Amino acid sequence: MSADDGHLAALAGLQLMNPNRLRHVLHGRSAAEAFDMATGASAPSPVLSTIFHKNEGLATRWRQQRSEQPPESWAASCAAANIQVVSESDPRYPAQLRHDPGAPAVLFVRGDLSVLDARRVGIIGTRNATQQGRATAARFGAELADANVVVVSGLARGIDAAAHRGALHAPSGRPVGIVGNGLDIPYPKQNTDIWNAVAERGVLISEWPPGTRPDAFRFPLRNRILAALCEVLVVVESRETGGSLITVHEAINRSVVLMAVPGAVNNRASAGTNSLISDGVQSALETADILMALGLDGRRAGRQRFDARPRPRGPQADIVAACRNEPRTLDGLLLATGLAIGEVALALARLERDGWLIENGGWFEVVDEWVDLT
Amino acid sequence: MFASISSAVLIGAQGYPVRVEAHVGKGLPGFSIGGLPDESVREARDRTRAAILSTGLNFPSIKVTLNLAPSDQPKSGSAMDLAIAIGILAASGAVPPESVATLAFIGELGLDGSLRPVPGVAPMVGALGASDVVVPVGSAIEARVAALGTVRLVDSLGELVAVLNGHMPWPDHDAPEPPCEVVFIPDLADVQGQPHARTALEIAAAGGHHLLMVGPPGSGKTMLASRLAGLLPLLDRERALEATMVNSAAGVQLPAGGLITRPPFRAPHHTTSGVALVGGGSTTVRPGEVSMAHCGVLFMDEIAEFAPKVLDNMRQPLEDRYITVSRARVHVQLPADFLLVAAMNPCPCGGGAPGACQCNDAHLQRYVRRLSGPLLDRFDLRVNVHRPGVEELLSYAPGESSAVVALRVAAARRLAEERQGCLNSRLSGSRLDEFAPIDDAGRAVLRYELEHDRLSARGYHRIRRVARSIVDLRDAGQLQIDEEAIQVALGLRASLNSTMRIGRVA
Repeated sequence: MSADDGHLAALAGLQLMNPNRLRHVLHGRSAAEAFDMATGASAPSPVLSTIFHKNEGLATRWRQQRSEQPPESWAASCAAANIQVVSESDPRYPAQLRHDPGAPAVLFVRGDLSVLDARRVGIIGTRNATQQGRATAARFGAELADANVVVVSGLARGIDAAAHRGALHAPSGRPVGIVGNGLDIPYPKQNTDIWNAVAERGVLISEWPPGTRPDAFRFPLRNRILAALCEVLVVVESRETGGSLITVHEAINRSVVLMAVPGAVNNRASAGTNSLISDGVQSALETADILMALGLDGRRAGRQRFDARPRPRGPQADIVAACRNEPRTLDGLLLATGLAIGEVALALARLERDGWLIENGGWFEVVDEWVDLT
Repeated sequence: MFASISSAVLIGAQGYPVRVEAHVGKGLPGFSIGGLPDESVREARDRTRAAILSTGLNFPSIKVTLNLAPSDQPKSGSAMDLAIAIGILAASGAVPPESVATLAFIGELGLDGSLRPVPGVAPMVGALGASDVVVPVGSAIEARVAALGTVRLVDSLGELVAVLNGHMPWPDHDAPEPPCEVVFIPDLADVQGQPHARTALEIAAAGGHHLLMVGPPGSGKTMLASRLAGLLPLLDRERALEATMVNSAAGVQLPAGGLITRPPFRAPHHTTSGVALVGGGSTTVRPGEVSMAHCGVLFMDEIAEFAPKVLDNMRQPLEDRYITVSRARVHVQLPADFLLVAAMNPCPCGGGAPGACQCNDAHLQRYVRRLSGPLLDRFDLRVNVHRPGVEELLSYAPGESSAVVALRVAAARRLAEERQGCLNSRLSGSRLDEFAPIDDAGRAVLRYELEHDRLSARGYHRIRRVARSIVDLRDAGQLQIDEEAIQVALGLRASLNSTMRIGRVA
């Protein structure tokens, strides 16, 4: 714990601070000097005075915060949550970010940054994913981790969480999570278990100090860090205008190899990935495709897990076949199979128990053997 | 100088006999009413005075004192106007006292002496027992439903005074035709497809199970719900009277025959206030929507949009099948035995196929939390309704009509009545063991669901009740519940929200 931590965190935690302002304030100065300047203890640099001039009241606010939240309290809250503070001048600062045009001036880190030295693949996608999308993300996560590739994702609901769960499932998995809020507040709450597991086995990175709320504007910003940290970015499912496409845009700007998982044409959750593929993005059908893009030998990867589920027969097989292409409702299944409601209910219940189908708001989806990780 | 006239007053949905005592005697000219009248009763002073003068009779210009006995009970409404006027006339000698001794009077007076109908004539006449009753022509149908004695119809105060003085016989007014009503009962045959929801409706009707429909906008929830009343059997005489009384008290227009024989269907809007829903008022307690739906169907569309406080008012009527409205001066028990059908969207955005929902977690949680757990527990049936796809719309043959389904429902209800003396939804735990034993395969399914935390103890009973109705509809002779019925019942408890995972534990 260096003495600078508190100053850096205090700077990043100033009200209305953003990555650009932080960069200007810290430019070539020590953390303590920069903090004094920003909070009015010393004369502002020309750039900073322009910022103060353009934003009325900013200088006063920052001056107030100096006494309200002194650097010592920030240092204490970082230490309490076991958060390391890494500035650009720090040797621990990830090399991949050093020359990035949007590199954050300060990183808050839980876990081991050396994880980033391995090969890195980003797996991202929509929060409103289908069961199949989540299962695909989990399978990629697990199989990539098995091949000693680090999975980078955003720890959001849906695809992100599934990819992380998959990576954590593999014994050698050391996932990387890039988040848009303070590292002391797991968000979303239901992912608290993955959040802590990622920090323990891999690394959790944010550019915001502890206590920062998960405001909507922070997520597009964190996407640039995510894009900068991966060599290959795989989009599993995305809407036509999804947040994942912001990451895709950032990845294209950084010449990161882009891959997308195709889906059914009428599936809204696959509209974005399908249009990426029609624009010429490479499709990722199995883990070997991704390993190939990294230049690794993918022939051994992607061996299916042993599937212990009893094979469906008779009406059960008909129902699985009917649900194979798209999710179906009970009404749709009655029509497709021509069976009575009792028989269908019986078959559905057995298929659900055996792990072939999953019910989601009255829709039945076929799932593969990876579904337990979603 | 003194007269005592029989009349009645309405409190809640119940009529109570009242003696209107009139005294006309020495003293400074004045007109006072005792016996806890509220403002609407006190106004009768001006109405009766004007009506008596308009009729061409003499209003006594000495002290007029009225008492409404029993005098410790607060009274409200204009139904005693006629009795007050007759009391004054009898006490002042304009009407022979012996002519009014065996009669009761109900009705509101106009300033010109005409008689107007009032709400709640049926329960008021019912409370008067066997005495002959004089009512306004407009209240004829309601009065005849409940009357044990003769109903005399009168058009105006002048006419009544003429009859009482023996100048003319009782007039023979025709009961007014109720406004031309075309009884439109929506038919289940209009619903295209939706086999799952149809089944749920049929089971709800057969077992009296409360039903919650969850589905995106445009999936036909309202259409389905409005067809439920048509599946229920017609009310027997006793139930019809109960429904008629409470609807009469609420001022609802009664059907042509006077008796409400078709189960009523009430659909309050989601902005309805708590008092309007369960009944209330400070002095005049009026029945709410839950009582108007007595013996019928209460449909709450967009139930999650109702104010949570309003919804929690529903708990007592759902549990006890009546509602007690207590105010400082009145305590009233109103009947509220209804079949609750509710509809809601799966989430604020409307939802749809997996991957289509746009809501964020906070919105979802807020939306789902509006329905409290105890209320959700009352729904034996929770069914997902989906917008039918193009293929489904085109390929379904027209479904069964309400008449066909109603026959099966009636048979299943009779079966339950003969077996256990109540509907299946009223079966409690110990009686379920007796009347709904489960076979081994079914028991294994329930054990699996319970062990995997997908079924709560309460949900276990709910499933058994619903399964009982399923078997009753399918096979009249079968006492044991089989696995198929259990699975269909399990399929009829929709998960309310997949991300919250609360739904699976029913």
